[in-house]
Amino acid sequence: MEDAITDRMANSRTLVIVPAFNEGITLRRVIESLLLLPVEVVLVDDGSQQPLAPLLKGLNITILRHRSNLGQGAALQTGFEFAKRKEADIVVTFDADGQHEATDIPNLVAPILQQEADIVLGSRFLPETPNRVPRSKKWVLHLARLINFLFSGIWLSDAHNGLRALNRKALDRISLTENRMAHASELLFEIKKFHLRWTERPVHIHYSDYSRKKGQSAWQSIRILFDLVLHKLFK
Amino acid sequence: MSGIQLMLLTGVAFISLYFVIRLRKRLLDLILLLVLVATGVTFILMPDLTNAIARKLNVGRGADLVFYTSILIFWFVILKLYAKVRQLEQSFTQFIREDALKKAEQNSGHQSPPSHEQ
Repeated sequence: MEDAITDRMANSRTLVIVPAFNEGITLRRVIESLLLLPVEVVLVDDGSQQPLAPLLKGLNITILRHRSNLGQGAALQTGFEFAKRKEADIVVTFDADGQHEATDIPNLVAPILQQEADIVLGSRFLPETPNRVPRSKKWVLHLARLINFLFSGIWLSDAHNGLRALNRKALDRISLTENRMAHASELLFEIKKFHLRWTERPVHIHYSDYSRKKGQSAWQSIRILFDLVLHKLFK
Repeated sequence: MSGIQLMLLTGVAFISLYFVIRLRKRLLDLILLLVLVATGVTFILMPDLTNAIARKLNVGRGADLVFYTSILIFWFVILKLYAKVRQLEQSFTQFIREDALKKAEQNSGHQSPPSHEQ
């Protein structure tokens, strides 16, 4: 079945957006793994101190560079704008730190190709994929799920998973104004607001020392909550 | 007139002069400012007035009443400023985003095939 999906992906224009900030050499491996799929890759360099383009020489991808660091939400929205201009059929968001697996993408876009959903969210907690999530991370994520539910009314099995797929309709409607990490919750508000059909699919997550260093600490979740409250206050 | 009254009145005079110069063309803001200044001056010249109001509101002293209302006003001002910062952040983001997208389009205009770059 997976081959059939890859074939159908080849017939539609799929853009994978990779927001990146101060990544190291692992970035190249991440991008190369994506290029094995029938997709176009758009890297958004969110104002890294050392431009990321030299690390990716020779790879057939588009690089968008923010002249100043704005945050992951802003980088994703820049990628979305680019995808709209390029008239992409499907957009996938993919973290740059190597915690996702490119081979999960066909599974993720399948509900879109089958017209079952407008947006598909990756989840590390669905029973089909046994992910060993560090315990400290687990309770923060469960708390984030609850907060997302209280704010948006959408009860997910995961929170802040960077792997997602959107169809054209979702791409046209969704506009992220939260520049930093609160964008992941803002996305849920947008799903609710525009009555987008959503579903979740299991994805693999690899916790390496590198991705853990690049990832969000529990402390940052307080900042996210603060941004969320302010988002609701100042529409 | 006591020393503190003189000090406060001088302060109010300077602040209002500054704002009058800046707000000359904005009538509504100017009226609001005049109302504020008038209240301030009245309370400075007749401190017992605040005491009277405070007692009606079940606050011990006039000075305490002024203190409590200032806290509220400061909260309001902080929120207003924060809203402004967010607005600025959004236009800044728009600017950076447009710049990034424009450059990508320029690049794709004269891009050499990837195989030759390595």
